[in-house]
Amino acid sequence: MAKAFTSTRKGITAHLETGERDLLRKLFADIIDMLEPETPAHTDPLAALIGLDMDVQAPRDPALLRLLPNVVRDDDAAALEFRQLTERSLRETKIGALRAASLALESEKVVLDADAARLFAMALNDVRLVLAERLEIRDEEDADRIHQVQDWSKAEDVDSYLALVYNFVSWLQEGLVQAMLSGVRASN
Amino acid sequence: MSVSTAPETARGTETMELTAPDIPWVLIVWNDPVNLMSYVSYVFESYFGYSPAKAAELMLQVHTEGKSAVAHGSKEKMEAHAVAMHGFGLWATVQKDGKSG
Repeated sequence: MAKAFTSTRKGITAHLETGERDLLRKLFADIIDMLEPETPAHTDPLAALIGLDMDVQAPRDPALLRLLPNVVRDDDAAALEFRQLTERSLRETKIGALRAASLALESEKVVLDADAARLFAMALNDVRLVLAERLEIRDEEDADRIHQVQDWSKAEDVDSYLALVYNFVSWLQEGLVQAMLSGVRASN
Repeated sequence: MSVSTAPETARGTETMELTAPDIPWVLIVWNDPVNLMSYVSYVFESYFGYSPAKAAELMLQVHTEGKSAVAHGSKEKMEAHAVAMHGFGLWATVQKDGKSG
């Protein structure tokens, strides 16, 4: 059974069993797959350098759109123009965090410094956003309903399994963020 | 964490904008049922450097009112903040101040 993240003198630490670490690595890898750009970087070196991507469109998958949202509401043209300038680097930021989080899961005892903790929390958050979209969590009521699903012995279909995974990742992130908050407040 | 996506150049118009008493762009963070309240507070404290009290106030405003204007400034600056918020997984948009979302 996992032991939640806590703040210690050596950093932010948790204990995660092999099965739990395998599950998290699988989830991180799934989100990395979603985020890998569909087209290679621009062949124009300057465009590639600044991450310009004129071929990009708003994602059709609502889960991917949640990871890469529009920066302007009610103005698709302005949102798309901004997306062309920024989406590729945002994908890279997220993939970087997911890879770092995956690498932090090498052993049962997970030890994170402040930077690694931030990347780990970002990765967990992206996992939760995607699972929430698949579970159709649209409002607080939906969130409460999913939160009630806690019994692994009753995981009999995909939705109840996803709900259990979502609750596990939420629990892990909550402990991590509490530990991070005490660190931020100590240094400010 | 700040993702700068466009080259930052000091253009005359920006200098004008920055010296104006009211810089008319705003960063809005929107509520969703997924992001943990603690995580939203963490992002506001660690990224913007807000005090725990101010971060909590903004976080609760997002939670109860559905959105909050968490930063004001130049368009470029608000856009850079928005990309950073998207990096954290928060849903943020930019708009001209005074426009109802």
